[in-house]
Amino acid sequence: MRHPTDGVLRRLLDEPAGVAGTDRRHVADCARCLTALAAAREDAALVGAALTAEADVDVPAAWARLSAAASAPARTPAPAPARTARRGRFGELVRRPATAALAVGVVLAGAGTAAANDWLPVFRTEEVAAIGLDSADLVALPDLEAYGDVVLTGDDGLRTVADAATAEAESGLDAPEVAALPAGITGEPEYQVGGEVTTTFTFDADRAARAAAEAGETLPTPPAGLDGASVRLVAGPGVAQVWQSGSGAPGLVVGRAVAPSASSSGVPFETVRDYLLSLPGLPEDVAAQLRTFAADGSTLPLPVPSDFVSTSTEEVDGEPATVLATRDRTLAAVVWVEDGEVTVVAGALDTGEVLEVARGLR
Amino acid sequence: MPVPDAPTRGALRADLDVVFRREYPRVVAVAARVLGSRDQAEDVAQEVFLAFNRSSVPAGEAGGWLSVAAAHTALNLIRSGRRRASHEETAAAAVPVAEPDVAEVVVTLEERGRVRAALARLPRKQAVALVLRHSGLSYAEVAAALDLSPGSVGTTVRRAEYALREELTRHASSH
Repeated sequence: MRHPTDGVLRRLLDEPAGVAGTDRRHVADCARCLTALAAAREDAALVGAALTAEADVDVPAAWARLSAAASAPARTPAPAPARTARRGRFGELVRRPATAALAVGVVLAGAGTAAANDWLPVFRTEEVAAIGLDSADLVALPDLEAYGDVVLTGDDGLRTVADAATAEAESGLDAPEVAALPAGITGEPEYQVGGEVTTTFTFDADRAARAAAEAGETLPTPPAGLDGASVRLVAGPGVAQVWQSGSGAPGLVVGRAVAPSASSSGVPFETVRDYLLSLPGLPEDVAAQLRTFAADGSTLPLPVPSDFVSTSTEEVDGEPATVLATRDRTLAAVVWVEDGEVTVVAGALDTGEVLEVARGLR
Repeated sequence: MPVPDAPTRGALRADLDVVFRREYPRVVAVAARVLGSRDQAEDVAQEVFLAFNRSSVPAGEAGGWLSVAAAHTALNLIRSGRRRASHEETAAAAVPVAEPDVAEVVVTLEERGRVRAALARLPRKQAVALVLRHSGLSYAEVAAALDLSPGSVGTTVRRAEYALREELTRHASSH
């Protein structure tokens, strides 16, 4: 019998099922073909190693960048660097514009609190509500690092633990028990635990002025006492259970964490709020929406890109819950706060499924 | 399969969101294999998705189209010398010495650079087939994307790997 070609031998390495049975049997008994196969394997491994490159990506951030570039060429800012230095997940979030908006929201949510020279509790999250933004606005929102120092502590990332008991012992939280898994989700979850994370934003008038000048804007004069004033946001610890779907991707995530709380030093919150609202780069409609959260002080605004995420409100255990769904209906999530703990149920599911899981948690 | 109209300037294709979320990691992976730099690969991926947004390529064929476009764009980048040397160094410092599943194969940073330069000199179809295969596309997917018969994908990939191995061997023996 003739020997299989080099191309057939090469495929035998990757997709043996794609090679005819007669060729496979021949190779198994042919010293010449086995030698050629070994050479092909060596070359493939060598080239594979030479072409290795880290390609871990942040798809939502990349999408925000692309949609801004594609949909608003006239107003698109200079493309953001593809990635900055590697940081923990929470650290990346804090640095991203969407979370800058969240931090602005945290500041605003504290409006009404009296001035204090020491750290004072400003609010403890009791509700979560979504604010609609489109992707172009997300890119255009001011990054708080341009306006002061953002210091993150306790960001050690999530770590996997052996079981629910360990997760509960390490986080101090009860891991919610899922009554019935949705269709397509099976097996045991992986348990993950994260510690308490603190973010402190300290306003720096000089830096803010430079940032505004670089953007071609004039920074409004900061009110007295704002330079050096700080806002501190604390969240966590938390525990998460992650089930994989049939494809191996996370299919269902049930997470619970100590809800964010904020405290401040320096100046009255009304002062900080009104000033941040006046910063160049904050779209007026967003500012108007953010102002509406000020009255209550206990609602954590959750900025979502409204062009690909829709939001609605439901109830879970008698608490108001925010339901998020991507417009392509591939992902859904529900978030609510109860007794100082924020719980999220999310997955490659529809909104009815995540709500059913949420309402069935024990 | 319906073929969407190409959007006007400034508009997004209705299916761009779905295609992007499904294909972006792989498109970056394809470009990163050629360039050795994730940051540059993400720039290439953005360029390729913008081109896709302007095109009327059906969503069902997007995967292959985008991967091929990413490989070509990345290879063009190497050939045109637009790559910045600093990126090469940054990327070289960031990548592991060897993948876990080929841990016995140790490739030096210098060799990586030489292999990537040699990749850009290969016949274009060989280079693209090699990169797509090493990025995880099946033989059938590579065949469909490059208009090859599935049977000839192995031959094309093998020739490319042989040529790159020769490049490393030739350089090693000259020292």
